[in-house]
Amino acid sequence: MGDVILTMKGIDKSFPGVHALDHVDLEVRKGEVHALMGENGAGKSTLMKVLTGIYSKDAGTITFEGREVEFTNPREAQDAGIVIVHQELNMLGHLTVAQNIFIGREFMKGRLIDDKKMNEEARKLFDQLGIDIDPTETMSRLTVGKQQMCEIAKAISHEAKVIIFDEPSAALTEAEIDELFKIIRDLRDRQLGIVYISHRMDEIKVITDRVTVMRDGGYVGTLITKDCTKEDIINMMVGRVIYEDPKTESQVAEDAPVVLKVEHLNAGRMVQDVSFELRKGEILGFSGLMGAGRTETMRALFGADPKQSGDIYVNGEKVDIKTPQDAVKHGIGYLSEDRKRFGIVVDKTVAENSTMASLENYMKGIFIDKKKENEAAQKYVDLLKTKTPGVDQLVVNLSGGNQQKVVIAKWLVRNCDILIFDEPTRGIDVGAKSEIYHLMNELVAEGKSIIMVSSEMTEILRMSDRIIIMCEGRKTGELGIEEATQERIMHAATLRN
Amino acid sequence: MDKIRNNAIVKKIGFNSLVLLVIMILLYILFAILVPIVNAKANTTFVSWSRIVSALNYAYFLGFLSLGVTFVIATGGIDFSIGPVMFCAALISGYQLTMKGWPLVVCLLLSVLVGAMFGVFNGLLVSFGGLPSFITSMASMMIAKGVGSVWTKTQSVSWPQSAAENGAYRNLVRINVGGVDIPTGLIILLVGAIICSIILNKTKIGRYILCIGSNREAVRLSGVNTKKWETLAYIICGLMAGIAAIFYVGAYTTVQPGLGDTFNNDAIAGCVMGGTSMAGGVASIGGTLIGVLIISLLQEGILAMGKNINYQYIITGLIVLVVVYTDLRSRRRRS
Repeated sequence: MGDVILTMKGIDKSFPGVHALDHVDLEVRKGEVHALMGENGAGKSTLMKVLTGIYSKDAGTITFEGREVEFTNPREAQDAGIVIVHQELNMLGHLTVAQNIFIGREFMKGRLIDDKKMNEEARKLFDQLGIDIDPTETMSRLTVGKQQMCEIAKAISHEAKVIIFDEPSAALTEAEIDELFKIIRDLRDRQLGIVYISHRMDEIKVITDRVTVMRDGGYVGTLITKDCTKEDIINMMVGRVIYEDPKTESQVAEDAPVVLKVEHLNAGRMVQDVSFELRKGEILGFSGLMGAGRTETMRALFGADPKQSGDIYVNGEKVDIKTPQDAVKHGIGYLSEDRKRFGIVVDKTVAENSTMASLENYMKGIFIDKKKENEAAQKYVDLLKTKTPGVDQLVVNLSGGNQQKVVIAKWLVRNCDILIFDEPTRGIDVGAKSEIYHLMNELVAEGKSIIMVSSEMTEILRMSDRIIIMCEGRKTGELGIEEATQERIMHAATLRN
Repeated sequence: MDKIRNNAIVKKIGFNSLVLLVIMILLYILFAILVPIVNAKANTTFVSWSRIVSALNYAYFLGFLSLGVTFVIATGGIDFSIGPVMFCAALISGYQLTMKGWPLVVCLLLSVLVGAMFGVFNGLLVSFGGLPSFITSMASMMIAKGVGSVWTKTQSVSWPQSAAENGAYRNLVRINVGGVDIPTGLIILLVGAIICSIILNKTKIGRYILCIGSNREAVRLSGVNTKKWETLAYIICGLMAGIAAIFYVGAYTTVQPGLGDTFNNDAIAGCVMGGTSMAGGVASIGGTLIGVLIISLLQEGILAMGKNINYQYIITGLIVLVVVYTDLRSRRRRS
């Protein structure tokens, strides 16, 4: 490790209602790979966005190469030598590799673009990095791994001094990861500073020199990688006090029947051989880090996305679910994690949204029975304590928590017995949150069964009777609430098989 | 202003429709003043029954086209084939009537059927095939023109005059009872509009069509067969083009092959002017109706001034731009 090249000190950033970064420190030296770790929502990405000028900071200083800097956009950061290699690649698929690398600063011959020169320069760059890619190849024909190499080459061509890798290995195969690590080591030997964001514990041990851990927007500490264990890092990541009392024992009756059984579900890369059971009156928590494949599992199960294989049994009977229609017919309701896109129709009324999944029950001949519809909607507005001036109010005018209640009402009006709640409290305030928890407990007490996907550890431990943990499309753990701890969940959530 | 907006009667009719109605009346007054001044040589007046009849002739078929396309636009799609489909229906059924001697009633039904077939075609391709509605309807516009021409061997078709045999269909547009012309077309158009309004606002079809226009994925994930309902919107649209064909020949009798696309623009303009959002999800049948009347009035007024019909296109185009821009602005402000 060489001299310090980048220092972020006391970085503070608030968004309305959220203290996203609370005086966070980060120090990167020349010739080191520095891991940045933390749970979902710990503030890693926000910190990097502050660094590269996508967000402005409220307080704190950034010192780069001995000078205090403040970038106002990523372009400025890039010109200074700080470059992010994103998880989702920003490449134009129909252009060639060389055209992508030099986009925005093409070599010109008079008024025409000099493709020949660009190809030559790109080739030199690849040789220098020891990458074997043809610069004239069309970008979309490369594998994700190769595309990422191009992105790195592009960063190098900008004379980057600090490169930030945002979960670079998430989409790569084993061989590609080896190649990536080879390049990263090479960059390190050339005295670049490297920030490496990843959830994969074993990679952190292999590739990084130091680890900085963040939690809930705050700075927890920095460790020398080779002096610490995986458990040390996990403890730092999850070591929060849980205020709301976690559930200590399962509320499900011993002899409760299995209402939903999923066997060997496969749907693309994100859902691989997932099997589980849901019992009557149970809240089954699905935990895992971002990109673990939980939402994809639920969507495949619900018929929202196609699945390759797998059997689904509802109340012991094998069912064929190809579309959401089929799922709804078998009494399954799905509350999506993205309420605005998949949950509600914002410019329609509370009543119209409430009966969306069961309109056929609110018909009088060919006409919609408006009175009956309004009564049903009103019933659930009262029951769920939805704050709305009336059932003819447009949903767009309600707060997030109340919109969520409208989506829940939609499935209750339909009288679904199996409810999939995907991040049910995302983006809603604390008060509404505890109301939704309360409601979920009431629902299972009435004999409904709930699958709850959640990225919040506290929510998982507070609500679940049993917890399934996923990592990268696979089920990596299953814990009864009695035996579940933050550490054990996090351990399974970072387990690659 | 807010007081007027919140008035119970105003709310029932819709504030925007009322504004349009006022614009229509102002436009009529404007033409009444301008026509004698601009076209002084012709010694003509705009305030006459014959002018109204002429404007209405245009409004009847355009009204049905526009009502139909309202359903498609409500889903967030577009149908550029309606004008040529209308002509294709009029050509095929007229040819069967005049050249093949098919019974009148059968030919009228045939016209509606041809329109509906194009609706099925567009609807299946867009919703089940996943093709963009813009391209699909462009293609079927060309197909409709071609089919009409091929069927009649590139000859224009003249439907019978009122007095002739099989001329009874013209009573659908206008009926003469004891020397008084009664505009049956207007009555039928109004009834059609009321039925469309009921379908759009009171039935499952309309509910799902509007919701699909607002947020297709949310509706699909509620377990609704979105493809089926979307297809239905196109079928309604095609069917209405088939009905429009009857009112076109009822007013003008002669149809030429290879034409009809200018009516697309007028029909869609009427719909958009009436407050139906091109983004989908919001539609007003009453608005569409008044939009169509305004366009008909505009056309009649410009002809009465002795000006080229192309002026009407320019004005309609500008109006559409203003309306769509306003719609966009109010949407942005909301989100």
